[in-house]
Amino acid sequence: MLPVGDGGDGVILVLSLAAMLLLAAAAPPVHRRLGRTTGYVLAAGFAGVGGLLATQVPTVLDGGAVTTSWQWMPSLQVSFSLRLDGLAGLFCLIVLGVGVLVMAYCPRYMGDSGRNGVVYGLLTLFAGTMLGLVLAADLVLLYVFWELTTICSFFLIATAGQVAVRPARRALLVTAAGGLALLVAVVMLSVVVGTTDLATVLAERERVLASPLAWPIGGLIAFAAFTKSAQLPLHFWLPGAMVAMTPVSAYLHAATMVKAGIYLLMRTTPLFAGQPAWSALLITVGLASAVGGAFMALREHDLKAILAQSTVSQLGLLIAVIGVGTPVALAAAMLHTFAHALFKATLFMLVGVIDRETGSRDIRELSGLRRVMPVTATVTALAALSMAGVPPMLGFVSKEYLFQGLLEADVTSWSGVVAGALGVTASALTFAYGMRIVHGAFGGPTRQPDLYEPSAAFLAPAALAALAGVVLGPGIDLLNPMVTRAAADVVYAGAVPEFSFWHGLSPEVVMSAITIAVGTVLFLRRDAVDRALQRVRLPDGGALFDRTHDAVLALGTAVGRPDRSTDLTGHLARPLIALVVLGAVGTVAVDGLPSRGPTDRLLDWPVLALLALAVLGTVLTRSLLAAVGLVGVVGLVVAVWFLLAGAVDVALTLLLVEVLTAVVAVLVLRRLPTRLRRAAAPRRAVAAALGVAVGVAAAVATLALTGRRDLSGTGGYFLDAAEPETGGTNVVNTILVDFRGMDTLGEAIVLGAAAVGLLVLLGSEPGAPRSGTPPAGPTPAPRADGGLVLQVAAQVLVPGMAVLSAYLLWRGHDEPGGGFIAALVGGIAVGLHQVAHAFPGLPRYLRPAPLVGAGLLLALGTGAAAALQGRPFLTPFDIPVLGAVGIGSPLLFDLGVYLLVLALLVTAFDRLGADPAGSAPAGSAPAAEDAAPPAPSGPAGAQVPDHRPPAGRAAAAAPPTRRGPR
Amino acid sequence: MTAAIAVGLLVAGGVYLVLQRNLIRVVVGFVLLGHAVNVLVVSAGGMDRRGLPLIGQGDPGQAADPLPQAFVLTAIVITFGITVHLLALVQAGGPADDEERPDEERPDEERAPSGPERGQR
Repeated sequence: MLPVGDGGDGVILVLSLAAMLLLAAAAPPVHRRLGRTTGYVLAAGFAGVGGLLATQVPTVLDGGAVTTSWQWMPSLQVSFSLRLDGLAGLFCLIVLGVGVLVMAYCPRYMGDSGRNGVVYGLLTLFAGTMLGLVLAADLVLLYVFWELTTICSFFLIATAGQVAVRPARRALLVTAAGGLALLVAVVMLSVVVGTTDLATVLAERERVLASPLAWPIGGLIAFAAFTKSAQLPLHFWLPGAMVAMTPVSAYLHAATMVKAGIYLLMRTTPLFAGQPAWSALLITVGLASAVGGAFMALREHDLKAILAQSTVSQLGLLIAVIGVGTPVALAAAMLHTFAHALFKATLFMLVGVIDRETGSRDIRELSGLRRVMPVTATVTALAALSMAGVPPMLGFVSKEYLFQGLLEADVTSWSGVVAGALGVTASALTFAYGMRIVHGAFGGPTRQPDLYEPSAAFLAPAALAALAGVVLGPGIDLLNPMVTRAAADVVYAGAVPEFSFWHGLSPEVVMSAITIAVGTVLFLRRDAVDRALQRVRLPDGGALFDRTHDAVLALGTAVGRPDRSTDLTGHLARPLIALVVLGAVGTVAVDGLPSRGPTDRLLDWPVLALLALAVLGTVLTRSLLAAVGLVGVVGLVVAVWFLLAGAVDVALTLLLVEVLTAVVAVLVLRRLPTRLRRAAAPRRAVAAALGVAVGVAAAVATLALTGRRDLSGTGGYFLDAAEPETGGTNVVNTILVDFRGMDTLGEAIVLGAAAVGLLVLLGSEPGAPRSGTPPAGPTPAPRADGGLVLQVAAQVLVPGMAVLSAYLLWRGHDEPGGGFIAALVGGIAVGLHQVAHAFPGLPRYLRPAPLVGAGLLLALGTGAAAALQGRPFLTPFDIPVLGAVGIGSPLLFDLGVYLLVLALLVTAFDRLGADPAGSAPAGSAPAAEDAAPPAPSGPAGAQVPDHRPPAGRAAAAAPPTRRGPR
Repeated sequence: MTAAIAVGLLVAGGVYLVLQRNLIRVVVGFVLLGHAVNVLVVSAGGMDRRGLPLIGQGDPGQAADPLPQAFVLTAIVITFGITVHLLALVQAGGPADDEERPDEERPDEERAPSGPERGQR
């Protein structure tokens, strides 16, 4: 035998959990190979894990505990620690014991269907998480396993298919809400106590009770337990969960998962036992559920529904006695938890047997099965008698002690009597519906005489459990060591009693007698009782929940509706309105700004006047080409403004960008009508009002927040450090490629992404037809090129521009230039060539995708090379040979940026410039008044190809409609 | 002062245009807003110092703040990238709704018959 003492062998606990996980993972593949025999394999596996844990039982029974602990989240002091003590041992016995029975029951119930492999896997996974829940010695770990059982339960209910959608969702949401409550309680406890170690927390009763968080913690823990253990008024998810197949109902929703709430309350009893509020809450909710559940069970006709309501009732009794919290009450709760798992799982399995054999679970349809299925009838009767608390069953013994515990309730002077009376009421109802199950299925005339007894293998698991319920009543001494050891773990003060089968003519025996007598009367007068009960209208919690759920979803839909609109204006207007509000708030709230220095120069004003004219023209024009031209003018004026502000690189960049923007815009505009329509008056008014408001806000903000300080510290640093640190004299460029290379890398990647986006939007092959309509005319219109002059000009200029581009790139570190500007010049060269030769397609070395790739590789590679030398990413370094001609790593990085920008440009020219002849020529159809000549100041000399068909008059006769490729 | 007025002008024009129905106008408005923000960022560096931030050229005490310039330089190129992308969206035929109608809420189905007419041309 193993050495005895506190400690034992903690590895066993980890091995057990790992074995369960392994079994769960192996279940589906094993099922494919072995079919339904898998159930027996898993039953053997469960038994093996049980045997593994059993090796530690001597340690536990001697009053010790087996522990193991691994670091998990050391910064939070959360560890993966497991602990096997008496209480954990009792629940392990239930989880694995009932698990063996259910797994051995599954094969005959489920058959060979392929989907069942998943069910086996989930059931085993659930068993593993349930083991983890009761073994967890850390609150966070306990919470994690708690939620995992919820998720397993959800998936197992959902295996029932379409009918399970709503019930599974209810079960998930209710129990997950409880899980969140538990999480909050865990966080609060760790704040109060300073650790999440379960044993330490439980030992700090005084500290927890003294803290202001005591009642929130207690309330949240109780709420979590009530959701998991299906207490009123949240019980509705449990009857709904009965859509799951019977093994799932028997295992999760009768024997184990719903007991997680009971386990949690037992575990936290040392913290709260004896506190009147805690006792009152648990006793009230528990007894309400006990009586209410039993009452609802007596109304049901479906056998599984009866059992589900019965579970609510029995769990209520358990919670009530835990609330009482005396040694006897707690010991009784332990014993009854075990007894309930045994008889309730048995009854579920038997209902499954009846369902399979007869095709029905409704006691109004079933009748007289005792003649054709005598063994089934006997076994069912045994389990039902245990549930009803009839001697000599185990259920009788546990109920006796439940009564004794309830009588000890001492919240007030009369609470013991009331609790006892309610316990008797619930138990009498339990007796009545227990008899109803047996009589409903097996009594009365036999309507299906050609049925026969199910196979021994099908019945064996249930029969075994039922027999255990009979034997363990008189043989209660067999259970005593385990249960009293478990109770010792949670009893706060006082000695744990030993159970005995018969303990004299005590009040409990009288209460049992009353229970059986009243229950018998209820059963004998069952028709009258049934009629009376059916008249009672009860609120349907499930439907209420569903309505609330739907209402919440509807609310979400309503809130999100504006964001799902495809109306661009709406999306844009909202942030703009927010800007106006922000400006107004800022005007009121911001105060005490430093004074503004003198910032204006005389030359600023004429530039500003030009800007005003250009903006006004852009806004008002109805000619598309004029709009593009005027926005180019705005850009040029802004460039001049930048030049005045001392930003020469910026001005240069903007000039080049304006040229390129105009070219690209014209390429797109070829396909659009040349005239813009006037917007409707209301839209113009709203847009103008909002424009003025946002403009004023922006101007005020600029006035308020700029020009009120000297050179920034960062700016001063760059001016001072640029040359010594980098060797470059163009400070702006050194910032781009040296100081803040990472930003630049990100920005260049954005451009690369834009290039890829163009490829996706417009097709990766130039000129690929994007509309399904082939050209209408028999012969396509001749391709328009730039004419001889432009071609010759391109011939001369393009090589020069290419050289200039390279030069700007090379000198960028010291003089105005750099990767962005150089690439823009290079892009203009490409554009000129493309336009002059009517978009002949790209040479191989200018393919967009390879350019993007090369640029990215170069920029990232330069950074990574620094990292390889052990310095931070993108640190500049010298290159051995090239350094002699002034080429360092910043230039290589800049080259990467260059390639990415160039990639975007060539992509734009190539894809947007692709011959539009593949679709109807745009700009050709508009009515006469729309066919204005292109503005003479057409930007950048771009040539607009003219494919206009000669049928002008016919087209003019047609009503003006939408046109152009879609 | 001039910077503030310039920002206000550009923002007002840009906002007016992005609230239009015609997508080309929206793109043009977007360009204006880009200019506005760039002017704002450069003026945040201080408009009293306007020397070139080139070492060894001009009075070092008058050199403009280089950091906003670096920001704006990349911002201009990125704005260009996005503008091109927007133009491509217009061409690829996003919600190509460039006509103003009296009732703007007309559902999509009523706009459908445009294909056959195009075929007749």
